[in-house]
Parts: sequence; structure tokens; C-alpha cells
Amino acid sequence: MVSQKVTISNPTGIHARPAATLAKTAAPFKSNVILVVGEKRLQAKSVLNLMSAAIKCGTEITVECDGEDEAEALKTVIDAIESGLGE
Amino acid sequence: MEQIRVEKTASRGIAVEKIYLYLEPDLTPDTASITEDQVQAEIDKFAASKAAVIAELNKLAEQNEIFAAHLEIADDFMLQDGVEGRIKNDKKNVQQAVSETIDEFAMIFASMDDEYMKERAADVRDIGKRLLAGVKGVKLPDLGGITEPVVVMARDMYPSDTVKINPSLVKGIITEEGGVTSHVSIIAKSLGIPTLVGVKGILSKVEDGEFICMDASEGVIVVKPDEATEKEYLAKKEAYEQERIRLEGLRNTPAVTKEGKRIYLCANVGNVQDIRNALPMNIDGVGLFRSEFLYMQNTHFPTEEEQFAVYKEAAELASQELTIRTLDIGGDKELSYYEFEKEENPFLGWRAIRISLDMKDMFKEQLRAILRASAFGHVRIMFPMIISMDELIEAKAVVEECKKELDERGQVYDKDIEMGMMIETPASVLLADEFAKEADFFSIGTNDLTQYILVVDRGNKKIAKKYNYFSPAVLKAIGSVIEAGHREGIKVGMCGEMAGDQKAVETLLELGLDEFSMSAGSIDYVREQILNRK
Repeated sequence: MVSQKVTISNPTGIHARPAATLAKTAAPFKSNVILVVGEKRLQAKSVLNLMSAAIKCGTEITVECDGEDEAEALKTVIDAIESGLGE
Repeated sequence: MEQIRVEKTASRGIAVEKIYLYLEPDLTPDTASITEDQVQAEIDKFAASKAAVIAELNKLAEQNEIFAAHLEIADDFMLQDGVEGRIKNDKKNVQQAVSETIDEFAMIFASMDDEYMKERAADVRDIGKRLLAGVKGVKLPDLGGITEPVVVMARDMYPSDTVKINPSLVKGIITEEGGVTSHVSIIAKSLGIPTLVGVKGILSKVEDGEFICMDASEGVIVVKPDEATEKEYLAKKEAYEQERIRLEGLRNTPAVTKEGKRIYLCANVGNVQDIRNALPMNIDGVGLFRSEFLYMQNTHFPTEEEQFAVYKEAAELASQELTIRTLDIGGDKELSYYEFEKEENPFLGWRAIRISLDMKDMFKEQLRAILRASAFGHVRIMFPMIISMDELIEAKAVVEECKKELDERGQVYDKDIEMGMMIETPASVLLADEFAKEADFFSIGTNDLTQYILVVDRGNKKIAKKYNYFSPAVLKAIGSVIEAGHREGIKVGMCGEMAGDQKAVETLLELGLDEFSMSAGSIDYVREQILNRK
């Protein structure tokens, strides 16, 4: 398993549209992709799960990837979050 | 026969028609458990239902983008996992599994603080309803299948329902839930269908196919009407339609007073669709474009490009005049994606121009978008909640900065764009003489002005009667502002509710108001008042 911390930077946090972007980014990977937010563990591939957590701008989260393509998955997801998830 | 009074009208008009009861079939899930060898069959049932729902949503998504979001949710793997997990591990049948999974997600959304997210609960339930009907093998009622004139009665209506309404057959709508600003009310208004909402308990009093009379203008419903009542309402309906035709006949007559003064009749709008709806009333422009809706119905601060696209379309539609009020947020208006600090007195707090001047980058995104749109029509900028000359000068300076940035980019705009202000604070009334030298126009916002001058919170029922824009102090303020504006030769308009009040027309004309801006539904009535004044 690999993991990395990242801070949510888009002004609106993980709202509907960024959630959809993030889920789509994570979906193609075989690895399990988890966002750790405080005590919550969220499935990055699920729009419902991401939206239901309403992560605000400025929140520090940890991305965990576990599986055969975990390194690439982690890098792609972190890059997507850092670039503001299409916003 | 029973007469029911309804307090608030969602959309005016009268209807006497057969009832079409739009009730969901019984979607109570079967509670039977299943055995291990039935697991795969139940999972297959879900897969089939899901595929059918996705195909249906794909079709709907072509007409309305709301359903693009529904598609994402219907196809979500957590939803799938939730259902399959309940079937495989808990040995629940597929109906139970779908119902519980949907409930779980809907409850998560419904319990969130954020209004936008709360509304997503309705989306999830809408999808759940479709999935459950699919696995139960029942058909959902279909508004698209209506073939004769009816009044549709329902508990509530979702976007997936209203998209199927055919306004030539649906002559009225009555719902038990919902408010006048709910989805169904907005759609009904835009389609011109008489509608009453929030009528508790009405469904238990009626039966499918019987006649009903509704007067949505007066807020009256008559269930099981006798013949005389039916005739009475048909006559009322006829009279209402005649009156509509008479008023519409006045639309091409310019609003000129008996003294020969041309009065400008404009619309207050919240989006481009509102402008389209107002155009048939032959408006002289848009006196108030409430830009806050662009911010409120969004998931993020709208970018310059996003705003430009909207303002440009608005400027082209309202070619004579488009007055865009810069962001007026705070007070009772919040944003789902921005945390406002809780305030003791939000109406005396961080709102409107105060926010814009503090968050200058955000303000500039909006101003550049407005400036760029000014190349496509007659656009005016209006600043809300100004209390001092410094604020007005600072706001105008930010506009100048934006102009320079556009010059550097080589983008075009109206170099002489008019910059005016709302008069809605006592301070702006007292300083009207000075402001008139610096502003290109005034627009009196009577809703806030009345509340601030009389120090009456109109949300407070105990003192609501004191909230009155005919109060001498308010009238004196309005009169002095109009005089101050005219001394400097600038146009003075009004965009508060008072401008659309027929009873206020005479007074406002006497005080010398130049422009009346109101919601589109009031324009015909105010025009008539102006033309028929003795």
C-alpha cells in the first residue's frame, strides 16, 4: 500500500462536480483508492461516497492506494486533487 | 362540496377540470428473506432494472442536464455494492436491498448542513423509485401519457415529473408538499399553469377523475363542486382570460402618463429564462438582474467565463437595457460552498458590496464578465448596499482596474458603461445629493430600505404589520431621493416590491419615479394603472 497527504485546494471543496471528476479519475485503476478524512475512509471511485463527506477547502486528507497499479494510481489521484479537480 | 383556502399562490390562474391523481404505485418492498441459491437471481434482477433505468435516464439527459447527474448516481458502484452486499450477506431480497441502500444514502444527504447537498437526497430517492419499480415489475405513472385536459394532483413533483408536463393538457397543478419557491412552482410559473402548493391533506379528499375547481389567483380550491359552483368557476375562468387578453392588448401601448411623461417598465430577473418569460410583456429592459443566483445555484464561485456567457446572452435578449447588480450575498442569502461566519445581525453585517470590496479578486471576476458583456447590449452596473462615498468611489475604481486589464487583453467593452447604485440604506438616502453627482443612476430597493428605515424585521410576525412602504418616513425618503437624482439629471428607478404594487403606482408617479422594475407577472397590471390613471 502507498499513501500521501494532500490539501484540498479548490475553493468549493469536494462538491458535486469535483466529486464526479475525482471518481472518474480513480475509476480506471485496479487498485483500491481510499481518501482518509479525519476518521472517515471514503471510496474515491464513488461519487455518492465522496459527496456525502462534503470535504471543505483547506482540509488535509490522505490518499491510500492498494493494488497492482498503486503507485500510478496514487500519483494520478494526487495530481488531480492538486490541480483543483477541473475547477 | 368543500371549499379550501390556500395561503400562497405558486402560479396564478383558474382551472375547472377533471382530476388526474398522480400517485406513486405501492413501492413497499417485499420483506421475505432469500436462500443461498436465490442470490444470483436477485442480483440479476437488480442488474436488469439498473440497465433499464440507465437507458431511460440517458434519454431524459438529452432533454435536461439534471439527469446527467442522476445517471452518475444510478451507475455508482457504492450503490451497486450496497445492494449486492445486502443480497449476498444478509440474504435480503432485491426489493428490500434496493430500498435500504437508497434510504441509507438519502438519509446521509438529508442530514447534511448544506442546502445544496440536502436537495441531493431528492435525487437519490428519485433514482431509488425507478430502481424499485423496476425490480418489483410495476409501472410508474407517466405524466407524458395524459391525453385529455386535467388538473394534476400529487404529493410532490420531482424534476423527472415536471419535464413530462404538457402545458396544453395540464391545466392546473395542486400538490400537498412544496413551497412557492420549490421546483414545481418555478416550472409551473414558467409554463403559465395555475398552481397551488403545500395544500396539506387535499389528496384524501379527492378521487381520480372527478371535477375540481381551483382559483390559484385567490387561493381557493373547491372539491366535489356542485353544478352551480362549477358554472361559477367556468365564468370566473372566462372573465380571467378576458382580463388577460385585455391587459395583453395594452402591451404595445407605451406607458405614457397623462402628463405626457414616458415611464420605463422593466423586469426584475434572476436568470436568462426569466428574461425570455418577460419579453412578451414588451419590457423596456431589465432593471434588476440578480447576479447572486449565479452564485447561489452553483458549486463554486462562478468564473469570469461562466458569468460572461450568462451576461452576454442576457445583454442580447434585454437589448434596450440590462442592469446587473453585483453580488448581493449575506443577510439571508448564503452560499453552499462558502462558510460565512455566524453573525448576530446578518442584515447589519458582512453582505453585498462589503463582501465584494473585501474579496477583490472575486469581485473583479464578476466585473470583467459584466464589462465584456457590455459589448453585446446596453449594460449597466449597479452596486448594492452603498453607505458612503468612499465605497462608491472604491467600487468604481475597481471597475477602472478591470477596464485596464481588458485593454491589455485586447478585449472590447462599452467604455462609457453606466455605473449606478441601489438606494436601500438610510445612509444612501441622507447622502443622495452627493451620490447623484458620482452615480449614473439610482435604483431604490424598497424591501431593504423599508426594513432599515423603520427598523422592522419583516420576518418577525409580531411586528410584520409595521413593515409598510407607505409609511410616511419611507415615502419621504423615496421622494427626496428622486428629487436629488433629478437635480443632477440622473434617472431614478425602483426595483423593490413596491414598484410592482398596483396600489403604489399613483404615489410613485407623483413622486416622479422614472423607471419601475418588477417581476414579470406584475408588468401588465402596472402598465394598466399608468395608462388608466384619471
